[in-house]
Amino acid sequence: MGVFEEIKGNYVKELITKGLREDKRGMMDYRNIKIVKDFIFHAEGSSIVDIGSTKVLAGIKMQVGTPMEDTPTDGNFTVSAELLPLAHAEFESGPPSPESIELARVVDRGIRAANCIDLSKLFIEEGKVWEVYADIYVLNYDGNLFDASTLAVMTALKNTKMPKYENGKAVYEERTTPLPINAVVASTTFGKIGSTLLLDPNINEEAALDARLTITTDGKRVRAMQKGLDGSIADSELDNLVDISIMKYKELNEKIENAVKEE
Amino acid sequence: MANKANAPKLLVDGKRIDGRTTNQLRPIKITAGVLENADGSALLKWGNNIVLAAVFGPQESTPRHTADPVKATVKCRYSMAPFSSMGEHNRSGPNRRAIEISKVTKEVFENVIFLNDFPGSEINIFIEILQSDGGTRAAGITAAAVALANAGIHMKDIVYAVSVGKVGDDLLLDLNMIEDNYSDCDMPMAISPRNGELLLLQMDGNITREEIQKAIQMAKDAGKIISAAQQEALLKVYKNVEKEIENGV
Amino acid sequence: MKNIILPGALISETPIKMENTYLDNGKTFSKVIGLYDPEKKQIIPLEGNWLPKVNDIVVGIVTSSKGSVYEVELFFFGRGLLIGGKFEDIKFKTGDVIEAKVKDIEDNKTVILWDARALRGGTLLSVKPTKVPRIVGRNNTMVEQIARITKSSIVVGTNGIIWLRGEFIGVATTAIKKIEREAHTEGLTDRIKNMLENEMLKFDKQV
Repeated sequence: MGVFEEIKGNYVKELITKGLREDKRGMMDYRNIKIVKDFIFHAEGSSIVDIGSTKVLAGIKMQVGTPMEDTPTDGNFTVSAELLPLAHAEFESGPPSPESIELARVVDRGIRAANCIDLSKLFIEEGKVWEVYADIYVLNYDGNLFDASTLAVMTALKNTKMPKYENGKAVYEERTTPLPINAVVASTTFGKIGSTLLLDPNINEEAALDARLTITTDGKRVRAMQKGLDGSIADSELDNLVDISIMKYKELNEKIENAVKEE
Repeated sequence: MANKANAPKLLVDGKRIDGRTTNQLRPIKITAGVLENADGSALLKWGNNIVLAAVFGPQESTPRHTADPVKATVKCRYSMAPFSSMGEHNRSGPNRRAIEISKVTKEVFENVIFLNDFPGSEINIFIEILQSDGGTRAAGITAAAVALANAGIHMKDIVYAVSVGKVGDDLLLDLNMIEDNYSDCDMPMAISPRNGELLLLQMDGNITREEIQKAIQMAKDAGKIISAAQQEALLKVYKNVEKEIENGV
Repeated sequence: MKNIILPGALISETPIKMENTYLDNGKTFSKVIGLYDPEKKQIIPLEGNWLPKVNDIVVGIVTSSKGSVYEVELFFFGRGLLIGGKFEDIKFKTGDVIEAKVKDIEDNKTVILWDARALRGGTLLSVKPTKVPRIVGRNNTMVEQIARITKSSIVVGTNGIIWLRGEFIGVATTAIKKIEREAHTEGLTDRIKNMLENEMLKFDKQV
């Protein structure tokens, strides 16, 4: 990002050569993860996730709409993301940046590929389906938006109550039916500095990365992958990271479950 | 305004739809310093409104040529989240209403900020309406004032804002969304508590000269409660640290 | 505890000349959120970005050079310039971290620096400029205590940028962040000393 982050990045690289991270974490440890559900009750579902100081709010909205031409009996699912200008001094207002679009599409990909929402269950009647909108609102940026956003959207979806359908309209004041969720995915984002691989890079570590890799799994199978930045990944490294990603799923899924159960 | 034929009864025996009296504020709770990167911030819950305000500055003007050599430039962005309303999904991006609110909000703070103390710089105010239920511009201004103080911006005063509306012959303080939709008048105001002057004033509907003065007085009376909430939020930032030290954290 | 006051708070019913205040109708009011010391007749701001003053010691990053003129990022709303030439035998490159003194301020926003030296290696920490006096301490006692106990090199910039180098700067950083949070309280010096010694003991135990 800026010159300050560059200096911090150089220091990160120096520590990495000694096998250390600034906050004393293990290479494959997450920062402290906190998930709170139902922050915005006007939304059909919502959640705020903190990973370290990164803070992401996800809101789910549902409305009655028309299906896509090629899937006339399926509902629609759309993910959008905004890197709000209040999240970091370098974020600007304006049309969606490539970073925010990539974030939305990567989160979307994992959830859609695992069929987390059975879109066929969102069919109402001919020409009418439920549309599910997931909006990712980044409130504070300290690295690793992918994992925070996937956790936030997933928790929000698991907590979504559908509006009642009556006389051709959605009745928002009555929301009791939970959105049918088939599967839960979790993403794990890794960074590569030299030959060292690390999990959950914070903002200073992101400034030092050669490559970044996000792997989304449902605990058994890989559902989405996204490599970022201009460095490269070897196939042996990839194999190792997929293994770690599947292992980490349990920890992340448990956090989602606990958040959803909270009263 | 919505179709009056379907209007719910907004006032029955002196009680409003949510049980309040005509002169009662919705509950307000403010937390300052909630965001790490912003220079100042505040999370405000006002009835069912949830507003996040943040301030960056004084910082470098971008683009450079927009810098005013003599004073700070204030920029303000009021924006509603797509999931903020009890209803359909709102499309992202500034609409005309948001742009107007951003402008009049900016003008409030241009009055109270000592712009000459930060020449050539930019002060950015961001107001995100995360959940809306009527009176969001007043909530936004009230939250932004806390965020500005939290950021250490030099100001004459901590401004508050509130709206007063009218149903039939009754003036109602702090309209929620349903009341705003069906009322005969809505008058949002921002006031500097130190001298009682109006820094934001808008109105649409139908109101008499006497009612305007009554409404201003209602706002000022409510202002005591709103100001207290703002002050408490700002002082709590430091009190919390003191408590932690006492508890040996 | 000194009094915490907010913008618009009444300081005096008569006009007083005091930094961080303004006059209105013959009365004096506070402009800032700060600690008010009625005896010393002083308001110490608790928040706010750096407003440059002549003789401030700052830490910055060289962002460009043209001949013997260097642009230095000082992390405030204006720009920093370091002018070399006959009187200063200095050669810096883009990306260098430097410590320098504020010589002059032009149009209230261009800071002219001199007395610069490079700070090699280490890392930077950003703190609120209003907390710097507490981090430095009276006669530098606080920062020297931290540097001594953690065996670190530390330079604190009035602009809120701190340079640190050494094996245990993690402990130094924790101490500085603690001072930043507790700057408005009493008994801080002892709490920091205890914290530093406890943290450093952990390393001795590991050996």
